[in-house]
This record gives sequence, C-alpha cells and structure tokens, in this order.
Amino acid sequence: MRPREGVVRCELSGEELHRHVERLYGKEALEALVGYTPLYCSDGFTEVYLLRQPLLEAVSLLMMSGKVPYYSGLYAGRIRDRKPLFIPSHLLAEKIYEHIGRSVRAFTASEQGIKVLMYGKDLLKESVISCYEPLEAGEVVSILGTDGRVYAIGLSEISKCSELGKLGKTQVIAQTIFDLGWYLRGGTIPREPKYRV
Amino acid sequence: MVIVIVRCVVASSGKAGFSGLLKDLGGRILRSADHETRRIASRYGYLDYMIPRYREILGDLSEVVEMLEAFEKPLVKSVRINTLRFRDINEVVDRLEMLGYKLSKIPWERFSYVIVEQGRVPPGATHEFLLGGYYLYRGIASLIPPIALNPSPSDRVIDNAAAPGGKTTHIAQLMGNSGVVVAVDVSRERFRALRTNLERMGVENVLALRTDGRRVPELFGTYFTKALLDAPCTGEGIIQLDPSRKTKTVFDDLVRAHLRQVQLLLATIRATVPGGRIVYSTCSIAPEEDEFTVAEAIEEAGNVRIVKPDIPLKLDPGITEYFGIRLPEELKYCGRTYPHRHGMEGFFVCVLEKEL
Repeated sequence: MRPREGVVRCELSGEELHRHVERLYGKEALEALVGYTPLYCSDGFTEVYLLRQPLLEAVSLLMMSGKVPYYSGLYAGRIRDRKPLFIPSHLLAEKIYEHIGRSVRAFTASEQGIKVLMYGKDLLKESVISCYEPLEAGEVVSILGTDGRVYAIGLSEISKCSELGKLGKTQVIAQTIFDLGWYLRGGTIPREPKYRV
Repeated sequence: MVIVIVRCVVASSGKAGFSGLLKDLGGRILRSADHETRRIASRYGYLDYMIPRYREILGDLSEVVEMLEAFEKPLVKSVRINTLRFRDINEVVDRLEMLGYKLSKIPWERFSYVIVEQGRVPPGATHEFLLGGYYLYRGIASLIPPIALNPSPSDRVIDNAAAPGGKTTHIAQLMGNSGVVVAVDVSRERFRALRTNLERMGVENVLALRTDGRRVPELFGTYFTKALLDAPCTGEGIIQLDPSRKTKTVFDDLVRAHLRQVQLLLATIRATVPGGRIVYSTCSIAPEEDEFTVAEAIEEAGNVRIVKPDIPLKLDPGITEYFGIRLPEELKYCGRTYPHRHGMEGFFVCVLEKEL
C-alpha cells in the first residue's frame, strides 16, 4: 500500500511496463497488454494499473480536476529502482500465461505447498511439482497451484530447473514476496508489508 | 390524529422539509411509549424509543416481538461465486459442498446461493476463500441493490459510499468487467478493504477514489448513467451482526445520519445523467434513514421520481405514513425486508429515475 497517501502523482503515458513485461516474459507477452493503457502512479515507488478505454476516459476526467485514483483498472504490479525492478501482480501474471498459452518463470506447487504459502511461508523443494524456465536467481517467479492459477509471486533461488535435482527437499526454491493470503492476514489494516522486498 | 402534510406546503416550508419534521418527531415517539412497549424494550435490551417505532412500522406488538426474536438469531448468509476469476460456478459449489456446506440457489441472483447449512469450516476460513476470489459471503439482502441497479456492460456507474466493496464487486461482475464503475468512499480503513476486494476478485473496470461522496458532482459533473448509494447508516436492520445497535443509537443520531444521507443522495442524483437510474439503499429499517431521506431528496432535487424496482423478489412496500406524518405516496414503490418476514437482514431499497 502507498505509505504517504495524498502526494501520489499519476501519469497516463510511458513504456516502462512494456519493457519489463518483454524482459521477463518475452515479446509475445506484450499482446496481453493490447487494448490497455498503463497508468503509472508514483509515491516512492511506482504502481502500474492497466485501463481499458471507458475507464481511461473516467480516469482522465478525474485527473483533469486535479485528483488521482487510489486504485484503477487491473493492478499490473510495482516498478522499483532496485532488484527486482518489477513485481508483477498475480492478476497480470495470470493474464500473460492465459495469453501466451503456457507458463514461464514459474513453479507449480502441490496443494499442501500452496496452503503453507498462504501463511506467508517460502516455497520449498518438496512442494514443487513442475518448473518452467526461464529462471534467474533473485528474479521474480510465479507460484502456481495445480489449477494453473497464480497464488504467489516469489524470488527464485535457482537459475535452471535442472538445479532442483541437486537440492534437499526442505530447501527454499522461491522466497515468497507476495501471496494471496496477504489480503486476509492483513485484514483492512495491513500488519505486514504487501511485498517482502 | 393524523397530520396531513401536503407536498406543496412542505416544499414551501423552505429548508425544513421532511428533515425538519424529523427533528420534532423524537419527543413524540417517546411520548407514545407505553407500559407494554417499555416492557418489551427492557426484555430484549433495546432503548425505549425503538419499540413504538417498530409497532408503527409493523402494525402490532406481537409482530414486533417476532422481529426482535429474529434479530436474536444468526444472520442467514449467502455466497456469491466470483465468475470474474472462476467461470464455472458449479466447480466452486461442488468444492463447498465437499466441505459439508448445504447451499440453495437464490432464484433472483444468478451467481448466489443461500448457506442453508454451514460446512466444517466457516465461510471466511475455507481454503477456497483464503486462496482468493472464489466467492464472497454476505447477508442475502445486500445482493438486492446491484440487482435493482441492473447495470449493463456499457454503463458508467457511480457507487457512492462503496467500501468495503461487496456491492462494487457485484456490480463489476454483473457488468462482466466492462464499462466503468467509480467507487467512492471517504474512510481510509474501509478503503483498504475495498482495494483488497478489487484485487482478490480480479475486478478490472473500477476506478476507486478516496474522497467525500458529496464531492462527486464537482469532480465528474453529470457523468453517470447509473448510480448506487448504499448509504452509511446506523445498521438498524443488522442487529443480528451488531447487538450493540440496540442501545448505541439515540434518536438524534438517526437525525444526523439522515441529514448526511440526504446530502450524499443529492450529490449522487446531481452526478447522474437525465434518464439515469439511482438506487438508494440502507441496511436499516429506520424510516428516518429510509423513506424520510428519499422524500427529502426528491423534494429538494425536483427532477427525480421513484420507480418500482424491477426484481423478481417480493419486498414489503415503503412506508407512506409514520406517526401521523404523511410522506409522498410514491414511496410505496420502495422496498423493505425484515428478518422475520423475508429470512434476511432488515433492508431498504428505493429506485429513482432522473427526469429527461
């Protein structure tokens, strides 16, 4: 959440999101962004939202009166000035996978593994069912359930799926930086930061 | 004795209007309390002024007792399956049934089921709920306002006083994530819950704005084709959820809530285009927050009329006479629910249409 509400500045232009999406998921993932205009709202860090045409008009109308939205459209993620430079939202990651028809930069976790993640724990080797490259140590990965949905975003500890075989079952494969359980653990007043980086 | 107040006379009374009549009503209500109403108030732990009002609304004390008994029982809840993220409703229903839930389809809301019997885990603690976005659980009556609003994918909707977002996400779902929903609320804490709900449920067509709802016309002009004001209220219909409501609200609090509701409703009307639909609702059975608010707003706005809600659910009519005060006859087209009659929380809904 934004730490200093009230000094947020929003802009309806910029290609930064596209650069990050292409870097992480490849050129074909950009097609998932077609029809959307990114809205960048900065306040120490930058949060990105994706707006379709009718919503874009409403946001423009609001911004003409000097106000900015608190939240708008599809939350795409957070742009940072240090690594990871972009943390995609689970919604954006899911949209991209749906669009390109496969998972990349991801691990599928067992149902038990997902349950543990929902308490903010990291992904252990013993919970990993499948692995999808490319991977890069210290870079974002999606953690999927067996239903193909994104339940958490983490930082990968490995750079190749083949490294999994060398690791013990209780070794951390991905450090969770956001999981869907956060919403409910935090209630209406977040007791922990949304992103653990 | 019935005091008949002709609308043109009320209008000519300047700023007093129906709000003005409320200010003198508290004393009159208290004077109408008798031994029997005080006995019931004491037995169920309510303030003395409340029971004569319930007698006035329901007609006799035996039914008042039925309602108070219903308020002592747990609220019947519903689950609304989130088709924005999970297209197969049956899959979610099956998962809940495997957890021991008994669900019954709500005939007038295509995504929702009544929880007839709760499963082994409460609805807010199932894996499906924790995983995010499978469903939202609420009282059944809270499904009514979005259905009465009947938004289409091309609408521009204002949801004023929107947080924590149960109805906002419902509207977004009814619109298939298309069009525009502007969700406004002033409360910082409730706004966080709104954002959480939007993200969890995968909503894409909402602009959430933290501001005073009275500022909406100033920010957007006359922009919205449909409008919902589920107004902040004293919660006199959800005493099952908050038994402290039996004693925490005095009559003057009701008047203060009413005055704020009128301002919010007028702002909502102003922001709606001619021909647009406005739904006003509260989770309160207090006429002071319901019919009096609508009466005052339509009187002051002068360009809206009440229309029958187009929903396949039998609601009780709105109140047109209250302690001798005659309210506009068209208020009968508003709808009310009571826990003992409808098996859901006490609720009020009224559909207005702005004249072309």
